[in-house]
Amino acid sequence: MKNALPIARKELNIYFATPVAYVMFTLFVVIASYFFLRLLAGYEQESMRYMQYNAPEMMNRLNFQDMIFRGLFGNLGVILIFIVPFLTMKLLAEEKRTRTIELLYSTPVTPLDIVLGKYLAGLVVLTCAISFTLLYPVLLQVLAKDTAGVEWRSLCMGYLGLFLIGAAYMAIGLFISSLTDNVAVAAIVTFFALLMLWIIGWSAAEFEGNARETVIYLTSVSHLDSFSRGVLDLKDLAYFISVVILGLFATHRAVEAHRWS
Amino acid sequence: MIEVSHLVKSYRDLRAVDDLSFEVKTGEILGFLGPNGAGKTTTMRILTGVLPPTSGSAKICGFDVFEQPMEVKKRIGYLPETPPLYVDMTVRDYLRFVARLKGVPGKQQQDEVDRVAAATNCLEYIERVIDNLSKGQRQRVGISQALIGSPEVLILDEPTAGLDPAQQQEVRKLIKSLAGKHTIVLSTHILSEVTATCQKALIIARGKVVAYDELETLRAQHAGAMSADGTPGPLPSLEEIFLKLTA
Repeated sequence: MKNALPIARKELNIYFATPVAYVMFTLFVVIASYFFLRLLAGYEQESMRYMQYNAPEMMNRLNFQDMIFRGLFGNLGVILIFIVPFLTMKLLAEEKRTRTIELLYSTPVTPLDIVLGKYLAGLVVLTCAISFTLLYPVLLQVLAKDTAGVEWRSLCMGYLGLFLIGAAYMAIGLFISSLTDNVAVAAIVTFFALLMLWIIGWSAAEFEGNARETVIYLTSVSHLDSFSRGVLDLKDLAYFISVVILGLFATHRAVEAHRWS
Repeated sequence: MIEVSHLVKSYRDLRAVDDLSFEVKTGEILGFLGPNGAGKTTTMRILTGVLPPTSGSAKICGFDVFEQPMEVKKRIGYLPETPPLYVDMTVRDYLRFVARLKGVPGKQQQDEVDRVAAATNCLEYIERVIDNLSKGQRQRVGISQALIGSPEVLILDEPTAGLDPAQQQEVRKLIKSLAGKHTIVLSTHILSEVTATCQKALIIARGKVVAYDELETLRAQHAGAMSADGTPGPLPSLEEIFLKLTA
């Protein structure tokens, strides 16, 4: 296990030596800011309206978590579908294409080290990207003085959810990257898989009973909402953790199997 | 130091390596020869634990490459056919990464990187990104990588490929200087290289051994017919033996 760390360091070195990480951070922050500003404008309109009606009890129910962050996290959970494939596509496919994987196979490194090291590096980049958006609640807290302020505990839950959904996407992306030696194929298939996990939920209305439950349970984004509201639902936590474990386990098998092919 | 017995590797209907047996003693340099596609690279991949063999066994320093791969991998340095370089990294970062993988302790990593870079003349471009290096420079970075941690056994797959004649000379000198301290298996199809650096040669064709002996013995075996007055015939060059055996 101890050799996972050098591999993670190497991957981070490559992420930050190439434009990949910077481009991704920039685009993620631009699009997140766009969503934030729109949600903020919605919040302003709403509070204006309540003020006009002179309805203080409605004003009291207005809060940042429900009005802004719940929507923001939901949107970012979808944006990650577009971003994660670019973070994971190279992780294993590139090593196979350039045959650098022979270096890993001929040094005292286990397949588990390879998988965990690469996954860890991906998580670090993901965490960096997500943490840029911490600027928004900080701004709100500092500038919106006459409100109740940000509910930090609920907000942390939301960030945990966003991190978990990103981690689950990453595990799927890493697995798909381990199946091919073509980087573009890895990216496209990952994107498609993540997209399916999202849009499968749209068809839930057409099913009934258990089938419907299953479809809703499979939908990735549906598990984010409890976190975004600031609630820790074990069912949703279990979903993300199972996807991560399943993805990493499958990747481990694929890395082992690659040597036998 | 290296014992290979009855090694077989099949890919579906192709037998890439067919019942290969040989042995290399500590400090020896074995020249591994054969036409392209003879199974040299496959054999080296099995020796380094990259590929599992179909049957037979290979032992390095007494450890079976299949049963105890980690013990074997701690004791080898491997230069694959294409040097395994991460082109986005600088030479220094890359060599440090390999040093970490090979378990060189933190404080010694810097010195170890400088040592191998100096041995292969990589120091002048050690801060450059690998993508911007020439083929010869990359090849030398590949060799430095194999030397990190002073492994007991070095497996070098065509170490002089892509180098100009002067660099080839240097690399040969380097390899010769490593003999005694390291046990080396070196594959090539440049025959003069074997004559210049190795004591023993193993010639394979279509996955099978066609000759395996000391260079001098090989020469003597394939010498021309004795002339009438009893003086031995002219000794053939390695080229002639190679062409005769692999035809």
